[in-house]
Amino acid sequence: MRRMSVFPQHGTALETLGLTANEIRQEVENKTSELVSDLVNLSAGGRFQAIRSLPMSFNERKTIRNRVNSVKLSKTILSADCRQQVSRSFRRFRASLASARQHLVVWQDTLKEIGGRFGTSVLSYFLFLKWLLKFNLFSFLINFCFITIPQIVHAPNISSVTGFRGLELLTGVGYFNQTVLFYGGYNGEVIVSTPAYNMQLAYFFTIAAYLVLCGVSLIYSMSRSFQNNFVLETGPVSGGAWRLLCSWDFGVVNEKAIQYNKNNLGIQLKESLSERLQEKNKTSLSDRIKRLSLHLLAWLLSLGLALGSGAGIYFLGTDKLTFNFDNDPNDLKAEASTLLLPVVVSLINLIVPLLYSLISKMESYSNPRAQIYISIIRNVVLKMSLLGILCFYWLNFVPNKISCWESFVGQSVYRLLIIDFIFCLIGIFFGEFLRNVIGTMCIQSLGVPEFDIARNVLDLIYAQTLAWIGIYFSPLLPVMQVLKLFIIFYLKKISLSMNCQPPKHTGRAAQIQTVFIALLFFPSFVGTLSMVAFTVWRLRPSDQCGPFQGLDTPFYAIFNWIDSIQDPPESKWVWWIFENVLRSELFYYLITLIILVITFFLWQITQGRKQLIKTLREQIVNEGKDKVFLLNKLQTIQKQRREMASYIPQDFDQTTHFNTNWMSTLPFEM
Amino acid sequence: MGNKQTIFTDEQLDAYQDCTFFTRKEILRLHGRYHELAPHLVPMDYTNDPDVKIPLALIVNMPELKENPFRNRIVESFSEDGLGNLSFNDFVDMFSVLSEMAPRELKAIYAFKIYDFNVDNYICKEDLEQTLNRLTKEELTPEEVVLVCEKAIEEADLDGDSKLSFADFENMISRAPDFLSTFHIRI
Repeated sequence: MRRMSVFPQHGTALETLGLTANEIRQEVENKTSELVSDLVNLSAGGRFQAIRSLPMSFNERKTIRNRVNSVKLSKTILSADCRQQVSRSFRRFRASLASARQHLVVWQDTLKEIGGRFGTSVLSYFLFLKWLLKFNLFSFLINFCFITIPQIVHAPNISSVTGFRGLELLTGVGYFNQTVLFYGGYNGEVIVSTPAYNMQLAYFFTIAAYLVLCGVSLIYSMSRSFQNNFVLETGPVSGGAWRLLCSWDFGVVNEKAIQYNKNNLGIQLKESLSERLQEKNKTSLSDRIKRLSLHLLAWLLSLGLALGSGAGIYFLGTDKLTFNFDNDPNDLKAEASTLLLPVVVSLINLIVPLLYSLISKMESYSNPRAQIYISIIRNVVLKMSLLGILCFYWLNFVPNKISCWESFVGQSVYRLLIIDFIFCLIGIFFGEFLRNVIGTMCIQSLGVPEFDIARNVLDLIYAQTLAWIGIYFSPLLPVMQVLKLFIIFYLKKISLSMNCQPPKHTGRAAQIQTVFIALLFFPSFVGTLSMVAFTVWRLRPSDQCGPFQGLDTPFYAIFNWIDSIQDPPESKWVWWIFENVLRSELFYYLITLIILVITFFLWQITQGRKQLIKTLREQIVNEGKDKVFLLNKLQTIQKQRREMASYIPQDFDQTTHFNTNWMSTLPFEM
Repeated sequence: MGNKQTIFTDEQLDAYQDCTFFTRKEILRLHGRYHELAPHLVPMDYTNDPDVKIPLALIVNMPELKENPFRNRIVESFSEDGLGNLSFNDFVDMFSVLSEMAPRELKAIYAFKIYDFNVDNYICKEDLEQTLNRLTKEELTPEEVVLVCEKAIEEADLDGDSKLSFADFENMISRAPDFLSTFHIRI
């Protein structure tokens, strides 16, 4: 009878009431009919999801499902067989789609192994990597199909072709200069074929469509993640109840990892107990001032380091603006000197975060979560300031000084990505392998390095930002990013198994995941979008190369196209929408106003719901007390009833008299 | 898929797909794993719904469960008789609830059953002590164990009966967004 109860909490109540077996069966039958009628009224998708989520054994669920299906069938007009066939084949089709999608899932076994040995928080890094891989693969596919293939088929005349030397792989100039890898290899002509294919529009719309899709996908993931992880009021992390009942990772299957997690849990419980037992000393004013001044000093140092690196890059960049295509293409030394900037950037990205972790060691934090968030903020400020300085330099100085400046920017991004990849490999070798060797053999106190999830994810976000910036200037750049992510996945996995151990504090992994997605959207994607928008809207494209040669700004291609479709009457509505809706400011003011009003309403609804949750929680407390009270009262009455009933056979006369009294005193209409 | 499998009828596979979170391919794979656990007990042909149960001792030897501190309780919670003997339907049920597609409410119900060692529909102090002993072997002294359990009940008990009912447990789970990803066994 253990799993027969439909709802776990009602099971005991029915039994303690002392109902007979018949009555229990009747009650269960009533509940089942109610359930079936509720299910029949849901939509098809919701119905099956509800059936799957019923907390019963499989056979009971199957019975309910069969009953629901027969009720549905009896309600239909068409013949039962036909309808059943149609719905069954439709469901089979959906299920086969789901299993076909599973075929495309790559790395399923590897991810299971990583999750089994290192837990879900380390697994989240690899899932993030896989997600970024999907973005880049999609970008490569649409760029290749819509921009590169037409260009290759109608190849423009390439003015000077230099031979292939090895240095091109690193610097991207020379042989690669006039190929379709960079902006300069594309031509803006209209390809004469049965529908005329306008290369300018194709280039513009492909990149715009990709960026819009990326943005939509990011916003969707961010809001889903936020809804799952942040919306409900969250309790304290250091609570014993949470740690005991919710934090154990069931997915870890490796014996050593489980032992490691057990040790960690024991240590954390001991710490939280000792914190509780210790009296909370009131921090004196001087202590607080000291702590605050340390924090201030640390922030000043961090910001100073970030600004200093930015200024250094700026001066280095403006100094080295010498390599032009007009130079002798065989001047290897000048070409190699273009690698200096990327190397310096990557060195800064490697060393300054280490300095940041040293600085944070000197501060004392009351809350380990605050420490993680502050270190993430500092690293993000550093990386975004570096990228910001580079973009400023590329968009302000380069267009005036170099003839085919978009290709130059594309090549700079290419160099940055390649050198970043090489430094990542060096980082794996020194940071993890050598550190493990040192930690285990030479200096025992250091121990095995922990896998630092935050730093690794921020590196991924930085590389992805570079890739997104480079898409406009070099449409095939995502290929490199795809290859890079593939190689990094396998190398990180190998290094993880050989060298690292999982991080000790894994609380709140889900919330940190949301923060990472938000970081990917907010500084990274939005920054890229604004940079590309500025390039397309304001900057003058180079005159000698690229699809937008001769126009004032690349956006003029759209203006010209809109003007051209003004005349034929069937496409006049497109022109009308463009001129009067998209180009008028009133439209944008109205939309902003409407969105603000809707946001205000939704915010008020959220406040109301929070109040409701609080009230409902109090109600749970009260209902618990009510239930205990009522059960006790019911049990006393049952006991009295049984005691009275046991007097009946003894004294007939007295009991009749007694019985009538008894019937009038007890309240039956409970 | 060229070869027609003869392990299940199409109606059976439809029922599995409608009532669990697995697709047809996964059900067939699960059957393979179930069969591996006891090749002489489990028939390859399930078309006439044979009544075969694998005992607890064989199931907890699966690599996914072998090292789990709660392996016995997990298997017992999904068994019909409460002793841990799983039929194939119970086996599929177990991994379906523990998969990543199961919703939070369903997982909370079974997590409550797993932590309720004395099966009285409440998580009382003794249940918590047993949980703690399985999670940390020699780390804590007996007094510390008692203290931690008392503190846990104090924090989570809403209706004041000094044990955790399902409502208290579910309230605590709703404040822990990580629960969905930690209460998850991949197969």
